[in-house]
Amino acid sequence: MSTLHVICHSPFGDNRLSSCLRLLGSADGLLLCGDAVYALQPGSEPLRTLQASQLDGRLFALDEDLQARAIAISDLGKAVDYPAFVALSLHYDKVNSWL
Amino acid sequence: MKFAIAVFSPAHAPSSRRALRFAQAALAGGHEIVRLFFYQDGVHSASGNVVAPQDELDLPAEWRAFVSAQQLDAVVCIAAALRRGVLNAEEAQRYQRPAANLPPPWELSGLGQLHEAAQGADRLMCFGGD
Repeated sequence: MSTLHVICHSPFGDNRLSSCLRLLGSADGLLLCGDAVYALQPGSEPLRTLQASQLDGRLFALDEDLQARAIAISDLGKAVDYPAFVALSLHYDKVNSWL
Repeated sequence: MKFAIAVFSPAHAPSSRRALRFAQAALAGGHEIVRLFFYQDGVHSASGNVVAPQDELDLPAEWRAFVSAQQLDAVVCIAAALRRGVLNAEEAQRYQRPAANLPPPWELSGLGQLHEAAQGADRLMCFGGD
C-alpha cells in the first residue's frame, strides 16, 4: 500500500515535514503545496533534509505555489499542476493530508 | 474514479482555493465527486454572507457556482456550522436566531455523511491548513 503524503504548512513553523519524512515508506510520495514549498528554499535546513531523504521520483510540489513564492524545485523533484495533482492522488493507493 | 473531498479551512485560507481547483481538475479529467464535505472552519465557505474584497477571489461565490453548475452533493457539517453561526432558515428558526446565511445548494447534515462518502469513494481528499 503506497501513500501520497500532502503537506501544506511551512517547515519553519512546525514539525510536520520531519515527522512525515520519518514515517515515509519506501513507495510513498510527498507533495508539497502552499507554504510547505518553502522547504525547497536554497541553502535551508529543510532542503538539506529533503536532499538526504532519497526521494528520487517521489517528491512533488504544486507549481502555482512554487511560482507564487519564486522557488524552484530543480532536479530534486517535479512541479505538478492540478491535473497532475489529481493523477498523483490516483497513482498512490491512499492520500494522507497533514492538516 | 470517485473522489470524496473534505474541506477543513475557511474560504480565506489558500487550502480552500486548492480544494476548489482540485475538484475542478478532477471533474475536467472525467472523474466523479461523490460528495463535498465542509467541516470545522470549512463551513464558512458555505456562508452566503461572506463579502470578499473587490480585488480578491470571492471563493464562497466560486464554490456556490461550482456546486450548482455541477449539481454536486455538498454537505456542511451541522455541528460545526451551528457553533460558527452558519445556519439555514430551518435552523435559524429552530434556535430563534435573527438570520439565516446558508442558502441552497448547501445542505446541513452530520459527520456520518463524510464517513459514507469516504466509503463510497476511491480516494478521500482532505484540504486544510495554509
